[in-house]
Amino acid sequence: MTTATFDALTDTQINAAQAAQPGAFGTTWGTVKRWAPLVIAVIYVIVSMWYFDFGRLLDASDRVWALLRNFVVWRDMDEWAYRQIYVGISQTLAMAFLGTLLGTLGSLFVGFLAAKNVMPFGIVRQIVRRFLDILRGIDQLVWGLVFVRAVGLGPLAGVLAIFVSDLGTLSKLYSEAIENIDRKQVEGIRSTGAGPLAVIRYGYIPQVLPVFISQSLYFLESNTRSATILGIVGAGGIGMIIIERFRASLYDQVAFVVLNVLVLIFAIDWLSKRVRLWAIGAQGER
Amino acid sequence: MSDVPMMGGSAASSGAAPSDAVSAFERHRAELRASKRGWTIFALVMFAICVGLSVWISNFYPERLASGVPRIFEYFGTIIPELEWANLFEGRDADGRAVPGSLTYWYTDFWDYAQLIWETILMAMTATLIGAGLAFVLSFPAAANLAPNSWIYWFSRRFLEICRGIPEILLALVFVFMIGIGPLAGVLAIAIHTAGALGKLFAEVNENASSRPVDGITAVGGSWPEKMLYGVVPQVAPNFFSYAMLRFEINVRASSIIGFVGAGGIGQELNRVISFYSDDRVLAVLILVVLTVTVIDLISERIRHRFIGRENL
Amino acid sequence: MLKLENLSRRFGDNTAVARANLEIPDGQMVGIIGRSGAGKSTLLRLLNRLTDPSEGKIVFAGTDIAQLKGRELREWRSDCAMIFQQFNLVGRLDVITNVLTGRLYTMPAWRSMTQVFTPRERAFAIQALDRLGMAHTALQRAETLSGGQQQRVAIARALAQEPKILLADEPIASLDPMNAKVVMDALRSINQQDGKTVICNLHTLDTARNYCDRIIGMSAGKIVFDGTPDLLTTSMAREIYGAEAEDFDEASTSTALPETEAVTALKEAAAHV
Repeated sequence: MTTATFDALTDTQINAAQAAQPGAFGTTWGTVKRWAPLVIAVIYVIVSMWYFDFGRLLDASDRVWALLRNFVVWRDMDEWAYRQIYVGISQTLAMAFLGTLLGTLGSLFVGFLAAKNVMPFGIVRQIVRRFLDILRGIDQLVWGLVFVRAVGLGPLAGVLAIFVSDLGTLSKLYSEAIENIDRKQVEGIRSTGAGPLAVIRYGYIPQVLPVFISQSLYFLESNTRSATILGIVGAGGIGMIIIERFRASLYDQVAFVVLNVLVLIFAIDWLSKRVRLWAIGAQGER
Repeated sequence: MSDVPMMGGSAASSGAAPSDAVSAFERHRAELRASKRGWTIFALVMFAICVGLSVWISNFYPERLASGVPRIFEYFGTIIPELEWANLFEGRDADGRAVPGSLTYWYTDFWDYAQLIWETILMAMTATLIGAGLAFVLSFPAAANLAPNSWIYWFSRRFLEICRGIPEILLALVFVFMIGIGPLAGVLAIAIHTAGALGKLFAEVNENASSRPVDGITAVGGSWPEKMLYGVVPQVAPNFFSYAMLRFEINVRASSIIGFVGAGGIGQELNRVISFYSDDRVLAVLILVVLTVTVIDLISERIRHRFIGRENL
Repeated sequence: MLKLENLSRRFGDNTAVARANLEIPDGQMVGIIGRSGAGKSTLLRLLNRLTDPSEGKIVFAGTDIAQLKGRELREWRSDCAMIFQQFNLVGRLDVITNVLTGRLYTMPAWRSMTQVFTPRERAFAIQALDRLGMAHTALQRAETLSGGQQQRVAIARALAQEPKILLADEPIASLDPMNAKVVMDALRSINQQDGKTVICNLHTLDTARNYCDRIIGMSAGKIVFDGTPDLLTTSMAREIYGAEAEDFDEASTSTALPETEAVTALKEAAAHV
């Protein structure tokens, strides 16, 4: 049996094949099912473009060019308040560092309270977990705004915002790390007659410390980014300077500050990676 | 480290010159401890300096904290509504006024909030779809194994990095300046950030896809787009979908705060009530935001699991 | 006529194919044998241009295939179908769509991008599948099929291309003896009934002897034997397979079921059930 060439295929043969394998010729329902998600998504995007008034984007072209030009052309650079800018940047770094440090210390305690294998009282564990859910459910920026209202403008509000949102997330991660440890090592320590605190110190901590350290360092990185943003609601740091310059139409300075922040974030990522390697590597040897 | 016990073991079993082995072991240990102690002290000193500097720079002094903390509790006291059990479920009276102490009184502006939350979800959906569409297109040239040439690879990688490098809220600030206050600025900002973040994830999925089907399509004479559509897309589609749904959850959170700079959604109202009032309205909006985020997370998780469950059948 | 002139391919310091010169007339069934790493796969991939040659020419119908680019290159690939050891089907697409990808080159872009296939294309794909006895699996996902079935679908995809030449890179190396026979019979029938040139990499000598008109032996990238199966002596085969085969025995490279006592006993037992 040889195959007829493509062009020589007769209508009779095509109809015969269709009769023999109707499914292979595609059903209307199959086509609809295949295309429906894409069609719905496209229609949704078009309708929502109309709803959100995408046409405004076209009217904005002259402002766009003005803004882009001002971002690139830097004027009167010797009059810029460099001192203020770099104080702001170091303030951002300090907020991220202190917030992460406090969050880590708090999570060390709360994480054990929320871990199933350490906390024997289910009710305590549930209350702690729901509390952490609430802390996590509210965005860091909202916490920033709330703390600015409570303790006033400045970095203290920022540190507290980072602390509270880190407490929510880190405690959860820590408690999961504690729940995933190797039971045998803990039993080994317990079998020597050690008390509960000694069991935590020698049975749990050596196992979870590397995880804790690397997670906290990741949070230091991400908090450096978010600390930049916190200033926008008045919670201290470089963000306050960015938004103030932006409102004053000093776009060249905004561009300068943002570039500096990007370099800072890059440096912190690099440094944190080095510290993580050093700390975890040293931990692995022990 | 691992050879130390072995040295001791062999010396003890053979019985030859144990003093040498022990002294070598002791010397080795002393060196190790000395170098380790040096590093530990260095790390501790650096750490202490960092803490000291941070405290100094951010004015995080105990007395400021001591005066600040009570004010936090005071503030939280003011935003808690005064609800009365007896009137909790009272509706409006004949004149259309709500009874103090009832839920209706607390949530007087409920329908305004509800509309803003609806707008927030729509913003997140539109931004996720636009961002995911852009990420989809760019993820193929940005995958090292699929890029048609190194120039296109380099440019699409850098473009995605820029898109996800700039925080959404800064982008929103710029868009609000360019096109005015309103949800459009927020949608654009979140869409761009989404394109960057999803583009990177999609590209990684593409890089893990098997090259065999792609070779197969190359060998039948398929063009580059055909290789992507027939050889890669069927492999990666379920992962793309999961990532996009996860991103939608993140974007609902983002669009609920992007209004802080005037870019639409419930964030604008949240900013207003927190900045201008310190009463039960703050908690009312906060609760709605947390509820929305939680419910969206639950629904999205359901959809992802159902989709993946069906895929595995 | 397919003609190779000084065709070479180097990977760094490694020469995979060294100055290959060959002339293959239309309609021949050629088996390429050799140890793994002898350059057989690279040679086939060079012919389909999945790998680019370092130097040399591939001449087919007066054109130098080695110089083709863009659309002309894709046209050549569609004329020169390839079958892979690992089938290289798209596992998550259904069988019929996999076969239809064989028509991609002939389709306008809008139809291939929207996956709209004409009834004629579908009928042609069904016909190709039917020839391999696989039409009943048309709507299954390719990844649900066994290895032997997947290879038959891959051959159907090659048929859908209406190629002038069929390249097969170790088509039976991942298959059990039963399926290996089905696949080799299919390739032989395409060669004999449709008159298409088939060039096939094989690692088993007896398969090459049984199915091919001509055998090419490769060793360390060089062509060391070229002739009809009866010219391939045991000492020649020993040279092709190298020093490792001191006590070379054709059966050792065979995948055919040895008729041992155990197998005979099993067959008898099966007959009684």
